[in-house]
Amino acid sequence: MPTELQSRDTGGMIVAAIFILIGVLALWDTFDYTDADSFVFPRTVAGSMIVFCIALIAWSLVRPIDVESRGAESTPRRVGLVTAMLIAAVLMPYTGFLLSGLLAFAAIVWLAMYDPWTRGRLIVYPLVGSAIVLGFYFLFTKVLLVPLPTGRLFIG
Amino acid sequence: MDSLGYLLAALTPYHVALAIGGVVAGTVVGSLPGLTATMAVAVLIPITFSMQPASALILMGAIYTGAIYGGAYAAILLNTPGTPSAIATTFDGYPMAKRGDGDLAITLACIASVCGGLVGALFLLFLAPPLANVALSFGPVEYFWLAILGLTLISALSQGNLLKGLIGACFGLLLSCIGVAEISADVRLTFDSQTLLGGIETVSALIGLYCIPVLIDLVATPDRHLKVENVSRGYRLHEALGISWRNKFNLARSSVLGTLVGILPGAGGSIAGLVAYSEARRSSKQQGSFGHGAPEGVQATESANNATVGGGFIPTLVLGIPGTPPDAVILGALLIQGVRTGPNLFTEHGSIVYVFIWGLLIATVLMLPIGLLIGRYAYRSIVTVPKALLVPTVAFMTLIGTYAIRNSVSDVAIMIILGVLGWVLGRFGFSASPIVLGLILGSIAEQGFVQGWIIGAAAENLWGEFFGRPISVGIFAFILLSLFSPLLLSRFRVKREMARAD
Repeated sequence: MPTELQSRDTGGMIVAAIFILIGVLALWDTFDYTDADSFVFPRTVAGSMIVFCIALIAWSLVRPIDVESRGAESTPRRVGLVTAMLIAAVLMPYTGFLLSGLLAFAAIVWLAMYDPWTRGRLIVYPLVGSAIVLGFYFLFTKVLLVPLPTGRLFIG
Repeated sequence: MDSLGYLLAALTPYHVALAIGGVVAGTVVGSLPGLTATMAVAVLIPITFSMQPASALILMGAIYTGAIYGGAYAAILLNTPGTPSAIATTFDGYPMAKRGDGDLAITLACIASVCGGLVGALFLLFLAPPLANVALSFGPVEYFWLAILGLTLISALSQGNLLKGLIGACFGLLLSCIGVAEISADVRLTFDSQTLLGGIETVSALIGLYCIPVLIDLVATPDRHLKVENVSRGYRLHEALGISWRNKFNLARSSVLGTLVGILPGAGGSIAGLVAYSEARRSSKQQGSFGHGAPEGVQATESANNATVGGGFIPTLVLGIPGTPPDAVILGALLIQGVRTGPNLFTEHGSIVYVFIWGLLIATVLMLPIGLLIGRYAYRSIVTVPKALLVPTVAFMTLIGTYAIRNSVSDVAIMIILGVLGWVLGRFGFSASPIVLGLILGSIAEQGFVQGWIIGAAAENLWGEFFGRPISVGIFAFILLSLFSPLLLSRFRVKREMARAD
């Protein structure tokens, strides 16, 4: 059960400091632009962002906030989900969308599974997953005519 | 032909079938993250070439209005707006779904969408030519301030504090600058990365920032996605109609606001939904319930965004200026059909325009039974599907939906990275909504700002250009109000409570 505690918003201040860095980088980048049309807007926005970040840090130093403590959550599964999706995106041009999609689907089913793997689930889940992936693949390629990658590995 | 004749022409079985097919197709497409109303209309354009212009318009209008409503499903059940106009639907729709009222939220959204759609279409039917002039009174600076108003509203409304919202909005605006500049072709903020050269596509960013954090949290715990009631409660239509009747002024006001914002080219449903949501919260006696599952919030956003459909058609048909991206696609289809839009369209091609408007009204009415049926199915699917299948299905839809927008693997990678960024920022109280809206409104804001800057600098009156025009001053006053009214109101409330305690 999450509970709330009064604390200084250290995380928010760190994020604000990172945003200041991003703002400075954006300002630095604008000095390479040739035309005023290109730099006037990003400079104004980056400047405003830096001002808001400084105000947030100052505000956080004087005012504590309610910080929510969190329950037990699985970080490895989170990392696994993002990794599976990123690998699918990287593999897409080489193995094709269908294969990378099927692999990502299977990996994420395994990551999101908290119930025991019964015989029924071992049969039904792969079948349902394949049907979903193939169904969407067919919808996008044949109906919506989206040219999904077929994979360099398989076309020589 | 008189009005009755146009109505009867719109009520032919062929036109009713087109309206039903369009609403079903639009609702399904709009409910899938990554598939937008623009894409749905664009894909179906070739089918309309062989049709009469009025029939083609009815089909495209029905798809459009269905897609805007369909965006509410993912917003309510997955905290992911199916379309950008459903951003504010997530504020209260998702909390309602989490507490077990997802079915009620979907029925409320359907009723509100029908109300908004009808008001927008009626404005289009009776007031199109005079209202089109509103669009002409907005210059570049007014559009700049309108975009900033949208950003300040979302910064003030989304959870977390105002400064974090403003920082997020600025970050979103900076993200919108990435890529090749439109006017000067300078390469901006790519830091020599080929992946960033094409810029950040707004819908893929929207999918990443909203959908990926939900998936990351879903996979981390064994808890169910949404609270499940053991007893089936049907559509909860009676309950929803009661709530809608009690909030009839909210529905009417949001629908009119949505229509008026929809008239402004480029502003679109996202600003309309936010303005209506903000107004609903401001005028509510239970402001504290907003953001925690207030039905009024869902009603305000959904009625306003569907009202933009009729509103957006006003400048499209009267002036030939598309109000929203789907309007631009529809305008192109009309030109291919040989129909020239403009002030004379309503007199020279009355048989096309009025049959279309009646067709749009019929499609909007049909959206009630169709929307309730599809909504019920969507709700049951999301609630009953095991998490081990729901998470990979949604993840796969994000991959394929993002890729399909520009056929780009880079967009998929950017979507995932932005999703992780959104999740990290969310842990520290930075909401995704201001970032997404900054990205969406970035090009309108920049165009208005740069043009205003150039005009002001040439006239040596920069201050007067940005703060000297009546509409600009009006919008700027609203910006100040949206920024400082929560602060002033909370101070006033604290003082009143202290006085009462004494």
